[in-house]
Amino acid sequence: MKFRNVSAVVIAATAALSMAACSGSSSGTSSGGSDGKSFEFWSFTGINAKGSAEEYKKIRPDVQIKLTEVGNAQETAQALTTALAGGKVPDLVLIQGDDLPKFVQQPQNFVDLRTMGADKIKGDYLDWVISQSTTKDGAIIGIPTDVGGMAIAYRADLFKEAGLPTDREEVSKLWPDWDAFIETGKKYTAATGKAFIDNAGGSIYSQVVNQGQEKYYDPAGNLVYERSPQVKTAFDLALKAVAAGITAKQSTFTEGWSAAMKRGDYAVVSAPVWLLGSIRDNAPDTEGKWDIATIPGGSGNWGGSFLAIPKGAKNPQAAWDYIAATQSPQGQLDHFAQARSLPSTPSVYQDPKLTSVKDPFFSGAPIGTIYTNSLLGLKPFLIGPDSTTIGIEFTNAIANVEQGKGDPAKAWDAAVTNIKTAIGG
Amino acid sequence: MTTSISPTKASLPPAPPVQAARRGFTETVAPYAYITPFFVLFAVFGLIPLLFTFYVALFDWNPIGEHVFVGLDNFSRLVGDVRFWNAARNTVSIWLLSTVPQLLIALVLAHLLNHVRLRLALFFRMTMLVPYITSVAATAIVFVQMFDRDYGLLNWLLGLVGFEHIDFTQSVIGSHVLIAVMVTWRWFGYTTLLYLASLQAVPRAIYEAAAVDGAGGVRQFLHISLPSLRPVIVFTIVTSTIGGLQIFTEALLMNRGAANTCGPVRQCQTLTLFLFEQGFIQFKFGYAAAVGVALFVMVVVLAGLNYFLSTRIRPVKG
Repeated sequence: MKFRNVSAVVIAATAALSMAACSGSSSGTSSGGSDGKSFEFWSFTGINAKGSAEEYKKIRPDVQIKLTEVGNAQETAQALTTALAGGKVPDLVLIQGDDLPKFVQQPQNFVDLRTMGADKIKGDYLDWVISQSTTKDGAIIGIPTDVGGMAIAYRADLFKEAGLPTDREEVSKLWPDWDAFIETGKKYTAATGKAFIDNAGGSIYSQVVNQGQEKYYDPAGNLVYERSPQVKTAFDLALKAVAAGITAKQSTFTEGWSAAMKRGDYAVVSAPVWLLGSIRDNAPDTEGKWDIATIPGGSGNWGGSFLAIPKGAKNPQAAWDYIAATQSPQGQLDHFAQARSLPSTPSVYQDPKLTSVKDPFFSGAPIGTIYTNSLLGLKPFLIGPDSTTIGIEFTNAIANVEQGKGDPAKAWDAAVTNIKTAIGG
Repeated sequence: MTTSISPTKASLPPAPPVQAARRGFTETVAPYAYITPFFVLFAVFGLIPLLFTFYVALFDWNPIGEHVFVGLDNFSRLVGDVRFWNAARNTVSIWLLSTVPQLLIALVLAHLLNHVRLRLALFFRMTMLVPYITSVAATAIVFVQMFDRDYGLLNWLLGLVGFEHIDFTQSVIGSHVLIAVMVTWRWFGYTTLLYLASLQAVPRAIYEAAAVDGAGGVRQFLHISLPSLRPVIVFTIVTSTIGGLQIFTEALLMNRGAANTCGPVRQCQTLTLFLFEQGFIQFKFGYAAAVGVALFVMVVVLAGLNYFLSTRIRPVKG
């Protein structure tokens, strides 16, 4: 165990160094230049933005892309905010869906992509996704690059030890709804003495709350988190899982979460498509032991990102050309094959290039089909400027109970009080 | 104004006597020209941002949107904000838990390292600085892993001897202790060396005379080392107060699950982390600036109080 810790430190240090290297690196000459073909692009780490840029250079060898991997999604949004306030902005920037509402509220900072031709292609994208980047006046400030279809990743080998079915079809049948999911967890924990899921906030609350038709805002933009039935249901289910003692109490993306995953101290993670990469990176030795089943309730979306062009961009046309080429249905399909980011363009969901993708790390699960199925028939819900803050306070309240410090009977009221303090009313 | 006198003029070869008056002028002005770069840099990176913070604190300031003047609203909201008082409490608690042991450890270590018969003295003195030159983030990552609830080295050892695992990061006192340990670890060597340097200026003869009179190590420490260190102790108390009230990185890296609040119930969120959360996560620059002003006032008051108290110790000299 000591050695594991040491190696984790080494990995963390290496990661920190390589991130520093990435943020300093650039593939191209200085910012854009005056030829109007080149542009500066800010993206996140960990999503192979470099690969996308290289691909684009193959079809447009005359273009120079100055790519900066700023940091994680939140850090990129922070850097963008600072840049917008300071006036020196990139030509193209990737924004995560959770961070988007703050920018949609201030559309004067971005190029209305309708002026570049977004009107003609907006029909390519899932309507409830592109609605997130459309302002009240109809301006489109971002093109959706991917969506976050939902599913459950489980350890087939551990299921077998617990006497549960291992086949992904049968496992999916174990949990038609979340109550059945928690019941399955109780059986697993009773049989093995080990935790079933990583944590209740991430693997239950954040999933359930993203399966409804109304989250923290009603369609008119009023705050309804206190009375939204989906929110209360999600919160109560999470507390139920905590009370059942089936969680490992490891917050997502912490050292303990990774360590417990490596050791098989929990068997199940609710995994939106973008989480698969983290499982692969954190626990490479578990290759082939995982499989993927459908999410209780059948459908839902969590996450996704958007490409936007800041108003002050020097080379907006070059940036738009990149969007148009890489975010077309075909472009997103190609990107899915190599980077596992789920297309936001439903026209390719039946394409054999998508349905045939099987992931060997997850026992050859047909991830293209499983994840796109979770997106069909979804109704959009409004994400508002305080959605992220509200979500954090609810998951914090759940985590507090889970870690054994908070009283479950008071958790909901505490969360609501904290939200009111945080968003000021 | 002083910048208009080019520093290069001061380095010209000696001027002929007819220019004596001018040389006098140059010699009067040159010292100011030499120190000007510092004050220019200080103004640009210190004073102006400081004053601008006071200005921003009067606004509802969206960095990418409107700036609405709200007067002192941010401050009145701050006074009633439980998160602010919680952060203030955490900050003071962590500061006390880290500063007091750190200064005491440094005092004792400096006294030991100053011992005339210590072998490998240089080695020990150099080793002290290793934590100080290690990156804060690296230190924090390693310590948080060592103190981890389920997989940490410390809890593993506790488990071996039959104790329950302690969840350091999730409890208020546990998380404060952990941060204090990191801060102490980082700074004790630096403080020790400051004390040691000061101790080495004390004539050996005094220690020898004391030894001849029958004073043991403890008495020598209390009656020779301690009094001679007073000025540098005052200095370290003031600097560690300023530093201790601005603890940030350790708190940010403590609870990855809820990093910006240092845990689900803000159990170790310091004032600087609260400022960061308001300014750079919530993008409420005006409110964050108000937190900054409050922190500034706290630092000034506490550093002043410390200075006052530690200089008052003087009569105890014996």
